[in-house]
Amino acid sequence: MRDHVSRRSFLQGALAVSAGALAACVAPAAPAEDMGDEGAAMEPVHLRWDTFRGIGSGWNEERIETFTEMHPDVTIELRPLAGSGQQDNYAKMYAAQAAGDLGEIIAFDPSHYHFWRAINKNIIMPIDELVAADGTDLSQWFEHFLGLQYYQGKLYGFPSWGWAGFDTLVTNAVHLEEAGIDLPDPTGNDVSIDTIDEWAHSFYVEGERFGLNISHNEATVVVLCRLFGSSLINEEGTKCLLLDDPKATEAMRWAYKLGVEEQVLPAPGDLENTGGALVAGLLTMNWCGSLCVRNFKNQIEDETVAKAWQILFPLREDGRIPSQLRGGTWNLRTDQDHADVGYQFLLHIAGHDGSLDFNLVARNFAMVRPDVVQSLIDEDPIHEWFIPSLENGIPAHAPANSRGREYTSAVQQWTDLLLDPHQPVEFEKGLQDLHDNIQAVLDEDPA
Amino acid sequence: MTTKAMAGARIPLPRWTRNLRAKEAIAGYIFLSPWLLGIILFIIGPMMTSGFLSFTRYDVVNPPDFVGLKNFIEIFTKDRLFWPSMMLTFRYALIVVPLSLVGALSAAMLLNQALRGTAWFRTFFFLPHLTPIVASAVLWGWIFNADVGPINHWIRTITGSDNAPGWFRDPDWAMTGLIIMAMWGAIGGNTMLIFLAGLQGVPQELYDAAVVDGAGLWAKFLNVTIPMLTPTIFFNMVLGIIGALKVFAAAFVATQGGPAYATWFYALHIYTRAFQYFEMGYASALAWIFFFVLFVFTYVQFRQSRRWVYYAGEVD
Repeated sequence: MRDHVSRRSFLQGALAVSAGALAACVAPAAPAEDMGDEGAAMEPVHLRWDTFRGIGSGWNEERIETFTEMHPDVTIELRPLAGSGQQDNYAKMYAAQAAGDLGEIIAFDPSHYHFWRAINKNIIMPIDELVAADGTDLSQWFEHFLGLQYYQGKLYGFPSWGWAGFDTLVTNAVHLEEAGIDLPDPTGNDVSIDTIDEWAHSFYVEGERFGLNISHNEATVVVLCRLFGSSLINEEGTKCLLLDDPKATEAMRWAYKLGVEEQVLPAPGDLENTGGALVAGLLTMNWCGSLCVRNFKNQIEDETVAKAWQILFPLREDGRIPSQLRGGTWNLRTDQDHADVGYQFLLHIAGHDGSLDFNLVARNFAMVRPDVVQSLIDEDPIHEWFIPSLENGIPAHAPANSRGREYTSAVQQWTDLLLDPHQPVEFEKGLQDLHDNIQAVLDEDPA
Repeated sequence: MTTKAMAGARIPLPRWTRNLRAKEAIAGYIFLSPWLLGIILFIIGPMMTSGFLSFTRYDVVNPPDFVGLKNFIEIFTKDRLFWPSMMLTFRYALIVVPLSLVGALSAAMLLNQALRGTAWFRTFFFLPHLTPIVASAVLWGWIFNADVGPINHWIRTITGSDNAPGWFRDPDWAMTGLIIMAMWGAIGGNTMLIFLAGLQGVPQELYDAAVVDGAGLWAKFLNVTIPMLTPTIFFNMVLGIIGALKVFAAAFVATQGGPAYATWFYALHIYTRAFQYFEMGYASALAWIFFFVLFVFTYVQFRQSRRWVYYAGEVD
């Protein structure tokens, strides 16, 4: 009889136990279920809604309650995603899918560049057959926001949020009035680039106030290039235009002149909170989205210091408004038993009431339906200002390889370098670096 | 039987003794097993998995696809942020480690004095180390706020000028801000405690002998304290370098690697590739490269330590 346990045998035993435990931890593959929907509404149906949108506002619960009142046999479990940033939640959804635990109701937003990636990974199901079976009227959504839901000829969802991007200069009207300038028509598109340039200088007071703020994020840089008649990347999402299109180069040179050579724009660190700076009268024009005007208006406490106005950029030669129409989506996961019920729930949250409350209760910018825009105008006439860009804006161009986050990160970080007055680089060198790094992302393999 | 034969013979142990040894061995391994299972499940298992994944393309949703050395080749030839992030991380460690060692040793010497309230001071000095890194990043984010932060307020008050650093929003100052933040946690943390223990282990008779030889405070520090503390200094240095090279959370929370990649540390690069771009295979390759760099770096430190670390109980 052995009188001791050898280290080797003990370690072998421990390894075997560990391997067993590891094997037990491996999640089962997602069950390959047929999308059979025969009699789906006849038996109790349980759906899971995985989302980070609207969480905490009460909107999601209200939508579930009103839906289940109409469909007593259906229960919907809300599973809030609560990453520190919106983008962090996609990692959770991919992991849930890999573990076979992703909910039936999901959202992989085109404007977060995950939509096409998720379709390619067979996570989102097309809904064309469900649309046909239901006879759904697709004209209830704005065409461009519904257009975002298509990929390779198939429809994959209904619009959730949507707006025209950074299409305006959110303006403190008090400064213009003090300077004796007539307020421009907020939807007139009649303030020229030269005038914006002039006001960036004339409203700038060293150490006290900035006339104009231009952020360095992708949302701004794209519209900056569009303002000058170009764009940042081509429509196919394969080519950076900064060096190839003189108009895009001219756009960046204008920002460089204001920010680096003339130093009348806030540098990184000069304005911690541009929204707060507007309200406090420390900034005259902030390059942002037209919907930011609504927030600005709501934040104003003293109208002798700040009054909300907007300046829409001048129309381009092609008659379009410099903007970037972008939006989100509501989707159904592939491989589910009751897709028809899930589809009805999509309609419930993307319909008029759902979409309106998505604006008013969940505080999202969801100008995706004409009837919702009308309801919002009835609520606050300032929403009329947003219509021109919605009707005549330019859709967003996404990287063809779905590497959206790399793309936006490259734009932000290298634009920071180009437009940093503290560490000025030669314009040609900075632009070349920006261009090369964006192009390098576009050249990468599909995500 | 000769004496020699008797000496070489193995005397059988009584049966009860053998049973006791077996029981002790089993008990020992049972007590060891939680740690052993932990290291296999949560360290070695993930490491082996990561090693395998580093040769694959893996996006979480689809099964890993073997790509050979492609990830490693791309890292060295095409990754625009690989070398900059590596250099930035070493630059950070080069500044933080010496400063934190000197600072922690100074704090430990101050707290090693037999004064009233020393226990309280030790507690206060240790508190920053207990603050969660996210909370501390948020706190320092406010302290360094360019507009309303107290530091810039003081700078403006003292200099009478409106020009103050942009800190986390300024590429020139973001790294400095993170270093100051790291020092706040490091000077009074575990490093200080270990130094304190080391100081209390220096025999008093060595100081007494030095006094007899006419040594002053500085001479005692240089000729007694420092030599006797070299094992502690070495230990803290190795851990400090590894810790500094792994810098992540503060930059992730306070600056997200910016502005203009000014704080894009290597660990942040790995994280971004893995959990934002979902390139698990590529990120695993990055992690293994970093592991080898750290391994070589630590090995060199151990080799070098033979020249300057003095172990009092060591037998040559």
